[in-house]
Amino acid sequence: MADIVLDGVSRVFGHGDKRFVALDKVSYTVADNEFVAVVGPSGCGKTTCMRMAAGLEFPTSGTCKVGGKIVDRPGPDRAVVFQQFALFPWKTVQQNIDFGLRSLNVPRSEAGDRIAASIKLMGLEGYEAAYPHQLSGGMQQRVAIARAYVLNPQVLLMDEPFGALDAQTRTVMQEELLRVGRINPRTVMFITHAVEEAVYLADRVIVMTRRPGRIKETIDVKPVRLAEKWDNYERIEDVMDLESFVHLRTRIWRLLREQHDPADH
Amino acid sequence: MRALTFLLLESGAGMTGADSGKTRLVVGGATIAGLIAAWYIASTTGAIPKLDFPSPEQFVAAARQVVVEPGFADGLLFDHLLHSVKIILLGFFAATAIGVPLGLWMGWSRTAEALINPIFLLIRPIPALAWIPLAIVWLGLDDAAKVMVLWFAAFVPSVINSYTGVRSIDRPIIEASRMLGIGRMAVITDVIVPGALPSIFTGLRLSLQGCLTALVAAELLGAILGLGKVLYQAGLDIYPAMILVGMVAVALTGFVLTALLDVVESRSMPWRKR
Amino acid sequence: MGPALPTRQLVLLSAVGLAIFFGIWTGAAWLELAPRRFLPMPWDVIDRAFKLTETRFSGQTLQGHLVISVERYLRGFILAVLVGVPLGLLMGWYRWLDYIVTPVFDALRFVAPIAWVPFAALWFGTGIGGPTMIIFAGAFPPCLINAYRGARYVETRYIEAAQTLGASGLRVVREVLLPASLPSIIAGLRISAGAGWQSLIGAELIAANAGVGLMMVRGQAALDTSIVMVGMIAVGLIGLLIDVALRGAETWIKAKQGH
Ligand SMILES: Nc1ncnc2c1ncn2[C@@H]1O[C@H](COP(=O)(O)OP(=O)(O)O)[C@@H](O)[C@H]1O
Ligand SMILES: [Mg+2]
Repeated sequence: MADIVLDGVSRVFGHGDKRFVALDKVSYTVADNEFVAVVGPSGCGKTTCMRMAAGLEFPTSGTCKVGGKIVDRPGPDRAVVFQQFALFPWKTVQQNIDFGLRSLNVPRSEAGDRIAASIKLMGLEGYEAAYPHQLSGGMQQRVAIARAYVLNPQVLLMDEPFGALDAQTRTVMQEELLRVGRINPRTVMFITHAVEEAVYLADRVIVMTRRPGRIKETIDVKPVRLAEKWDNYERIEDVMDLESFVHLRTRIWRLLREQHDPADH
Repeated sequence: MRALTFLLLESGAGMTGADSGKTRLVVGGATIAGLIAAWYIASTTGAIPKLDFPSPEQFVAAARQVVVEPGFADGLLFDHLLHSVKIILLGFFAATAIGVPLGLWMGWSRTAEALINPIFLLIRPIPALAWIPLAIVWLGLDDAAKVMVLWFAAFVPSVINSYTGVRSIDRPIIEASRMLGIGRMAVITDVIVPGALPSIFTGLRLSLQGCLTALVAAELLGAILGLGKVLYQAGLDIYPAMILVGMVAVALTGFVLTALLDVVESRSMPWRKR
Repeated sequence: MGPALPTRQLVLLSAVGLAIFFGIWTGAAWLELAPRRFLPMPWDVIDRAFKLTETRFSGQTLQGHLVISVERYLRGFILAVLVGVPLGLLMGWYRWLDYIVTPVFDALRFVAPIAWVPFAALWFGTGIGGPTMIIFAGAFPPCLINAYRGARYVETRYIEAAQTLGASGLRVVREVLLPASLPSIIAGLRISAGAGWQSLIGAELIAANAGVGLMMVRGQAALDTSIVMVGMIAVGLIGLLIDVALRGAETWIKAKQGH
């Protein structure tokens, strides 16, 4: 069991007159092996929630549990893909991917196999000895994902992982993520700005509001996907043309538009 | 209790959170107090041989001796202190009064830079202390020799940092002020000097440090009066308590002079946030 | 500040500058403003340098003194780096260590390194130990300060990434703080190298049984300015060499990390 449970989580930042409530009694659950996407305007507290599950941030009140245990520190059981990659510039691709395996004390021979497998999965062959600054943004993001996947973690926390990619690469990565998820389901908390991406990838989409950060609505995608047999389509473009898809996308869009805030984007 | 776990945990948290100033103060105070207690115990039990390092009582006695009884190294501590400070200030001002304008000029004028830089590059790598023997040959053990050594110690950093200060001013600022038709002199006093001031003060701080080190070294090599003379005499007499007194006096002098420079710095740049 | 000068003009002005410097020196010596042994001609100094490489002065040839000085220097400097850099990095990570060491360090910081000479001579003698301690006293603070500052200013995201990947504290220090603060550490080493070298000269002037500092003091005692000047030039050149080497290391590391 590796579910993520946020229970009445509030987070206050700042002191004195700069004090503000970033998260206000947010409760939601990402069930075991469920893929949940979180959308919401910038600054509504998506990243903060994810950082709590990662053990990098703590609630002012309320609790955040993963696998039934209150999160008190970061660890390799919850792999994180950061918004700005956070690859170590002084390590090669291979060494970056290896970093977490060495914390887990994986035997060297097995580690080699696992690294090779994840390099292949992410299409990074030939770049093993490259340093991050020699790679394009898209390639760097693949390394960041490989670094998380290689740990074979029960929980994956991804913060706008495709935000910095061009449309082409982005599509490839989305299809890849879905494919890998089918073979090997994981508990995933996936933060994104892109509504299509959320609907395409997730079992459930959580829409948040801003100032204070609250949950506006939760939309179940999985029943629709199963009923309309989205999985029978190879390509993402084909799914996006389906009426059922468009319907869900429009609904989420409206929810976001209702809290129009000209300051965003 | 929370503070304790927070301290003992491997605290990556320390990287993100603001420093807890109170804990720092308490732990710091406790450490110093602990060290003094350890010093007392170690010297009374003989764990530290008295010939190597004095006990607290010996230290206090030596301090008393040099503060109130004239005679050690031919003066009271106050005389030594006054003499040292006088020479430091002489050397410091003599050097920076030339070094700062020279550095500013080199930063401002390419011609001046091309002309002076080669000479400066010859002098720059020579450590200040390496001037001591030459100063003694030329000027003897007089104060003049010490002022000469201190002059070189303070001159080099004040030139370099004043120069860097001018070069780091945004060119557009200078060009804009020229376009506004401000006179040449006004550009220097209103744009160049204030712009270079932070860097100039970095240089002055290094100059002051250099002066202190050079003075102690020069006085250790031979002096009539001065803190270095106290150290020298104490070393000759194998009088560890007095060595320690001398070192404390040197440290306090450095501390007070640096603090004074800090005050001048913040007064002369009221526009800077501290 | 005008545009950069054309190369020809730059070379010309630099030559004029040097000519003025050596002109004044030679002129003053030629006019015998001071006796020649106090103010030798530039070529007297060069001549003396060659003689010192052949005949011993104060027990050693010039290169003999230099080898002794450099050896002492390396001992003290390397010791300062080996203690200062790891301690600084650990202080950047473990708060309690920071809280304990910082007040002690601050209290000692204002003691000029040279002021340790009497104790150094008392504890470790004037052979290898005493001077090594003085070099250490001079070279240690910049090592510690720059490693500490470097570690404190490492971007949080690298540390967080390492933590989510399960790295222990010591591993974060070794594999994140150390490489991330290398530029700051190398900058510290450059300051430290200069401070250590100057402290060595000071120590050798005051209390040492050999070395280029001793050679200079003996030259001074013999009222032979040219020996003193040879020492100054040698000391300056070696200091320059050390700095150039470290600057090279700095450039290399920055290039490697893709800055
Ligand atoms: N460490 C922090 N200190 C102060 N404010 C913060 C901190 N982290 C996040 N915030 C603020 O909390 C709010 C939510 O941030 P975040 O979770 O990053 O939003 P999102 O990821 O949804 O864009 C924002 O207003 C942000 O500025
Ligand atoms: Mg965010």
